[in-house]
Amino acid sequence: MIKINQLKKSYGSREVLCGIDLTVQNKEAIALIGPSGSGKTTLIRTINGFVVPDEGQVFIDNVLLDTNNAESLRQTRKKIGMIYQLFNLVERTSVLHNVLSGALGFMDTGISLVLSSIGMFQKEYNEKAFEILTYVGMEDRAYDRVDRLSGGQKQRVAIARALMQNPEILLADEPIANLDPKASQMILDLLNRIHRDKGIIVLTVLHDVIKVKDNFNRVVAIQNGSIVYDGLTKHLNENELSYIYEFEQSEELVFI
Amino acid sequence: MIKRKLSVSPFSKIYKVLLFLFVVLIIWLSFHASNIDFIELIKGLSNLSKLLKQMFPPKFGNIFKIGVLTLETIGIGFWGTILGSFFAIPLGFLCAKNTSPNRYISYLAVMIVNVLRSVPEIIYALIFVVSFGMGPLAGLISITLTTIGMLSKFIAEMTEGIDPKPVEAVKATGSKQIAIITNSVVPQILPLFIGYYLYLIDSNIRTAMSLGIIGAGGLGVELVFHMSLFHYQKFFGILVIMYIIITFIDRISQILRKGMLDGTLFRQKKTKTKEIIAASSFVTVGIVSIFFIPTNLSLFAKGGMNIVKLIPMYFPPIWVNWSNIFIRILETLAIAVSGTVFAIIIAIPLGILAARNLFHIQWIRFIVIEICNFFRSIPDLVFALIFVSAVGLGPFSGVIGLGLHTAGFLGKIYAEAIENIDLKPLEAVQATGAHFFQRIRHCIIPQIMPSFISNSLYIFDRNIRASTILGVIGAGGIGFELVANMRSFEYNRVMGLIIIILLLIIIIDRLSSYIRSKVV
Repeated sequence: MIKINQLKKSYGSREVLCGIDLTVQNKEAIALIGPSGSGKTTLIRTINGFVVPDEGQVFIDNVLLDTNNAESLRQTRKKIGMIYQLFNLVERTSVLHNVLSGALGFMDTGISLVLSSIGMFQKEYNEKAFEILTYVGMEDRAYDRVDRLSGGQKQRVAIARALMQNPEILLADEPIANLDPKASQMILDLLNRIHRDKGIIVLTVLHDVIKVKDNFNRVVAIQNGSIVYDGLTKHLNENELSYIYEFEQSEELVFI
Repeated sequence: MIKRKLSVSPFSKIYKVLLFLFVVLIIWLSFHASNIDFIELIKGLSNLSKLLKQMFPPKFGNIFKIGVLTLETIGIGFWGTILGSFFAIPLGFLCAKNTSPNRYISYLAVMIVNVLRSVPEIIYALIFVVSFGMGPLAGLISITLTTIGMLSKFIAEMTEGIDPKPVEAVKATGSKQIAIITNSVVPQILPLFIGYYLYLIDSNIRTAMSLGIIGAGGLGVELVFHMSLFHYQKFFGILVIMYIIITFIDRISQILRKGMLDGTLFRQKKTKTKEIIAASSFVTVGIVSIFFIPTNLSLFAKGGMNIVKLIPMYFPPIWVNWSNIFIRILETLAIAVSGTVFAIIIAIPLGILAARNLFHIQWIRFIVIEICNFFRSIPDLVFALIFVSAVGLGPFSGVIGLGLHTAGFLGKIYAEAIENIDLKPLEAVQATGAHFFQRIRHCIIPQIMPSFISNSLYIFDRNIRASTILGVIGAGGIGFELVANMRSFEYNRVMGLIIIILLLIIIIDRLSSYIRSKVV
């Protein structure tokens, strides 16, 4: 369970989050929408401590996320998988190595640390990596270098890396913004499948409202750092949408 | 569908371990063969500190004379490059398979170019000093010959890599070969060509400094003169001047090359003031320097006659005492390996400290970059010369000379490699809960490794070339044998040794470019 309490954050004089309250129950899948610059990315980055809020707290499973304590932060991060818009993979190394790097948090001491440092991973991790690669449908590319893959394939590898952690929460920061429509749908289907099969929290930042309607039940909309809609996707009507995207649309008009 | 391999054979891991052990063994043997001795080094260091104390403060002596020599050095580098390009441009197009009139001419041209560029400048200079006499003319011709080799190869490679469609379009109009080249090939390679040309002038002025050591004109002559008379303060004065010139030329050529890449150079209204200043001072210095190198045609003619008389004396090449030659070859290789390892050891901390994205303390970065520039601007022969007087004759001085000079290069290159790291994966791995050491190991090192290996190999390749001629000042290697035979007028043996050096350089060059193509 994630509980966010009166969260505030500003960069300089610009207030990005102004008092966010949000509760996500276990096994819930949520889409986070809103115009560019509304604070969606900042919000999900506070959940694993990459952004330190100015005010307010984040509770993961009723435990306060303490960004000052590096060790406890690291332990909490092991529970939270994250995928990115630009995949953030180490391009020059193999798919398998990238996936295995997801389990580095578990190889933090003793023999597994030594072995992983010389590029060898224990059998259990290797087997698990293959199992997950099969799950995302990339097992036949395990030994290829990442820079030979397409965007959709890279995102599947990034998801596999996050799954190596056995996460309880999966954060996805605009996972389909750099993909073509077909690959986008594939990634959303995969995220849905992960949510269904593993029963974990999936929190996805998205831009495309139509995709949200087709793939998610609950949607949270943010505008100018405040939550303006939190409810079922099917209740989200055109009026509310045009209100949420008002700012962006007027901006587009200038360009046309 | 193509079936993909589903596993990596265990052989590849064993192979990696064996390769690692092999490299360690080679380095250990090389250290052994090039007399690297830490006690000697410490003793040498105390000598060196004494020497350095004697060097301070630098004295400049006769300013007018030094000014003349400085311009002479620049003249040798600048005009040697320009003279070389007159020959290199046609030769380059004859080499390239897509512009050469036929295959056989291309083969022949490539062969000539490979020989020209593989002979170290110092060896040319040794030969030409005999026929043209001491002075800048020998240096000028040596630089010209190497430039022909280097530039032709560059032009040929660029030309072979161009987009063939415009060429076909011009061909379709029924133009002559020369018109095809000027209208479809030249526009495509021009920006890269100018960039390389500037780099070549820069590097040739550097080379011109060390050519003086064997009497081929310029500042190097004065340097050796002061060294032999133990005028250490004046010696240091010349070093300071060398550093200033190289820094000056380097900065100018950097500004111009950047302008070239950004497309702000030579464009009306877009050209920046600093580019105008850089370009005009470059041209002015270059043109002025022509008055300081001999343009006397009778000298050329006399030297030419001498060459025609001397060349038959070099043939046929003969080889005596194969075992000695073999030992000298091994020594040359050992110096190059040890020098490169030495350079890498110095360059790694320099590179880390100079990288913009790791350290934010501006003044430390600035100092480290200046240290790199200083190492780069002093030729390896000059460093070796200093260490010959500190730790004595022999390969060890050569190792330190190579190491210090190339550490400057490598430090800069490593810093660039570190600056080019993609930091996004670092955050992703941090999000999995990996700690600091693991993030460095699994995100930073895999990204740096290819550039680290390929650049270190490139420097090794360069050091082989350099270590063949360290013997000129008594710092070991096969060059020692070459100079000894030169002094006793055994020209046939000299030719034999030149052929061996040539083969050695060509083999290592091929090998290193093969390995580099595998790594990247």
